[in-house]
Amino acid sequence: MSLSPLGASRSLAAVFTPIKSGGLVDEVCRRIELAVESGLLASGQRLPNEIELAAALGVSAVTAREALSQLRGQGLIRTTRGRSGGSFVTENSFPSAGRAREKLLGLTRLQITDLGLHFQAIAVACAGVAARRSSTEDVEALRQYIRPETAAGESATAFAWRLSAAEFLLELASVARSARLARELLHLQADVGTMTLLPFEDPGFCEKTAAMNHAITEAVATHDSEAAEARTKELTTATTNWLLAEHSDSQNKH
Amino acid sequence: MTAGVGELAALIAGLEEKLGQWAESTSEWLGTAGKATGTAIDKFIRPTVLGFMHEAGGLVAGAGFVAAAGLLGEDRSYIAWWQGGDMERVDALANFSPQSMSRYTKAEWFKVPMATGQPHVTGPYIDLLCTDEYVLTFTHPIFRDGTLAGVVGMDVTAQSLERAALATLRGIGPRAALVNAGGRSIVSAAPDVDAGDIVRPADGALRHAVGRQFTIYSATT
Repeated sequence: MSLSPLGASRSLAAVFTPIKSGGLVDEVCRRIELAVESGLLASGQRLPNEIELAAALGVSAVTAREALSQLRGQGLIRTTRGRSGGSFVTENSFPSAGRAREKLLGLTRLQITDLGLHFQAIAVACAGVAARRSSTEDVEALRQYIRPETAAGESATAFAWRLSAAEFLLELASVARSARLARELLHLQADVGTMTLLPFEDPGFCEKTAAMNHAITEAVATHDSEAAEARTKELTTATTNWLLAEHSDSQNKH
Repeated sequence: MTAGVGELAALIAGLEEKLGQWAESTSEWLGTAGKATGTAIDKFIRPTVLGFMHEAGGLVAGAGFVAAAGLLGEDRSYIAWWQGGDMERVDALANFSPQSMSRYTKAEWFKVPMATGQPHVTGPYIDLLCTDEYVLTFTHPIFRDGTLAGVVGMDVTAQSLERAALATLRGIGPRAALVNAGGRSIVSAAPDVDAGDIVRPADGALRHAVGRQFTIYSATT
């Protein structure tokens, strides 16, 4: 079907696409998955019961019950009965490299490239404005996320690296002081979040990320917008390229 | 010109007074409340927030109470914060998380009043914990029997401040700006100065202190 150039635009036609039902249960599940994935809810931790959950998230008890049941089906939580019973986040449910690889392999090369481009567009725009608006405190805040904190002699886990890398980019958006860009970056990280665990299992990639984060921070500190944009472009390209290479390798093995 | 300055000073002072009174009544209540529980805190805090949200011409986008470590138990954090006209609860899952304390102990809006025992204004900054908006957060320490027990706070979006202050600011000067303690523009009459840019007063420009932490520059460069 082709639309007449004089008719309604394609973006307007999207207004009349069907609205999916059952969205609320999925939304509650997504929030809990995100809380577990970001480390806010830890493995083995008890979840609020359905009444508490319903009150906290402002949904009905029925919705909360359905969401818990759906999460149980996914294996993200387990429920035990009795006095010390309740719902608990299962051990090693998240974040797992297995799940990340599964998600990566479920995508096409085209989807990975497209997601990478979107991510790059937002992150690079943040970097350019951040360099213009940064204060000394802003630069200090960025420095905290160049690499994850570790106790002396210990090395950071892939999970800690990924969390720190995500925080670094969010901090960059905060320094840029654009609410729209920051929100977009949050959504994108929820989309790519699980997968970006994979490259951080590679120590070489971790060190390369720290070096690039450092270079971005220096550019922001010296108010060099062009350099901040260029370094951020390299950073996002490195992630996309790593994922594409991994995607090819895994497919060749199968 | 002084009329405009007075108007903006009253606007900011009004917010600070409202917060100060709320802090006082919250400290008083905590002193007599017995064991602090999430339910009791919600019951005390929520009606005030509801009042702020439904104030005609009010500037408050969100408000609430954030507990210091120890108030509800060891390593327990608690956030009783709501935003918007439909009273959306903020960061609800954090109250069930053992890791949530670290989410706000380093945040300027929590850290500064807890360290100084004084009220503080943070921002304008992008608030990714609550509104996902460009906001200023006014926070005030709360005491229980003389010990710091947390903060009460209000979020005011940069956008609502622009609506409330821009016309008055233009009356003060075509390049006048309301800036925070760090010299960062909050609302600016100059077309080439965005909220969030660091600005300097022009040569010979007047500076007027507004509220506890803000300044109006009659002109910026």
